[in-house]
Amino acid sequence: MRFLRQCLTIAVKDLRSELRSKEAINASLSFALVILLLFSFAFDPTAEHTREISGGLLWLVFAFAGALILNRSFSRELTNDCLEALIAAPISGSALFLGKALANMLLLLAVEMICLPVFGVFYNARWTGQFPTLLSVTVLATWGLTVIGTMFSALTVNLRLRELMLPALVYPMMIPALMAAMQLTTLLIAGEPIAGEQLVWLRLLIGFDIIFTALALALAETVLVG
Amino acid sequence: MDERNLTYMFYGLSAAWLILAGYVLSLAAREKRLKRQLDNLKRMIEERERK
Amino acid sequence: MKENNFRRNTLYGLAVLAALLLARNLHVILRGLPDEEEQGAIYRIIFFHLPAFFTAAVCYLLALVSSALYLVKRKARYDALAAAATEVGLAFAAVNLITGMIWARIIWGIWWTWDARLTWALVCWLVYAGYLMLRRAIEDPSERARNSAVLSIFAFVSVALTWKAIEWWRTQHPGPVLRIRGAEGAMDPAMESMIYWNWLALLLVGAVLLAVRMRQEQMAREIDALRRHAHAL
Repeated sequence: MRFLRQCLTIAVKDLRSELRSKEAINASLSFALVILLLFSFAFDPTAEHTREISGGLLWLVFAFAGALILNRSFSRELTNDCLEALIAAPISGSALFLGKALANMLLLLAVEMICLPVFGVFYNARWTGQFPTLLSVTVLATWGLTVIGTMFSALTVNLRLRELMLPALVYPMMIPALMAAMQLTTLLIAGEPIAGEQLVWLRLLIGFDIIFTALALALAETVLVG
Repeated sequence: MDERNLTYMFYGLSAAWLILAGYVLSLAAREKRLKRQLDNLKRMIEERERK
Repeated sequence: MKENNFRRNTLYGLAVLAALLLARNLHVILRGLPDEEEQGAIYRIIFFHLPAFFTAAVCYLLALVSSALYLVKRKARYDALAAAATEVGLAFAAVNLITGMIWARIIWGIWWTWDARLTWALVCWLVYAGYLMLRRAIEDPSERARNSAVLSIFAFVSVALTWKAIEWWRTQHPGPVLRIRGAEGAMDPAMESMIYWNWLALLLVGAVLLAVRMRQEQMAREIDALRRHAHAL
């Protein structure tokens, strides 16, 4: 119980700090919308093309936008030695990590929920067909991206070239989650339920989340504290 | 031996060996550099200790 | 001193053994083995393509174990081994990728396709290249060792998961040909045994490279320590 309360405290602190300055979320949202609009402008996909690429396009956008949020996650604590204060605080490394991951997930989810209607408008696509399932898949995949991204944000926090290294390290590792998310999203936006063969992707996504959450929680203390 | 695609086979085998040879060369270069740094440092320490 | 000589002699011995084995293998590959019906001579590339992959996999596994050992025991030797193993593994993985691409260009007509195994091999290479990139970016030796050990563990898990994921995705690559994988279209036993022989040869080469690289890593640490000592004087 104490563990969860600690996580929530950290998560709320991060969210409050972010919502006051809105730096990361503005950058992330603008970047996401610009890519969506530019792509629509450049390729002007027909309805059928859009149906084929919707999952791939959306998750690429979310992954790029997510990097901006994830980068700020630990680097925000560098000024005024806040990171050292947090590490010295009587909470475990995994609680600190989980709190930050939760905050990051909520921020990224917010960006994604804004992108979906924009996508619907500019690509003339109906995306509400299977909305509850779409939302669940989005939450699962976003959690996968966030867990890895937050861990790597902690790993690279002290590096000069942090902004370059984080995406370069993180994207290859996210590929299973991204692949599963892309396949499922394309399916759900087209209005089909997940059934039969496609369930494999859902299982992959859930497995990805469980395995990497466990791994991250186990190693968070090592990375942050030593 | 069947001669079809023989040149391509040689390209392929050469590629394999070139990559490994390239790596060995980079190892050798690094070894030289490290040895030079090590010797310089040892010499510098001896000089300072003598002073 | 005696230990140094022993080490040097062992390495030379291994290198000579590797060279002899490779020469013998090359002779058998080019002269002794029967022909494959459809592909012509180029099929013989598989005797480097597959063993290189196996050697790289062994190196990555070694890196994983070594990284985990480092996190538990915190001895610099394990960090040196992990870094060396990853680098040597990357070299062999590059051999695997490039020979595969050359073969594909001739047989399939294309340099690249987003097929299951190829994609996985590329992603795997990128993930471990990231490991080397991270190491280069961290200056403090113990922070570097710790963080790259964590990364190595994540890398292995990620690569294993990606393997499973991609298997469900697309397959154009030839299926399993080795008998131990339960292959139906299994190869001629002479060919199969050559794959294993060449794997041994490449492992020997890999072992020599690994030992050299690991010693270089330890030399770099020594230089660091000496540099600090020199500045203190």
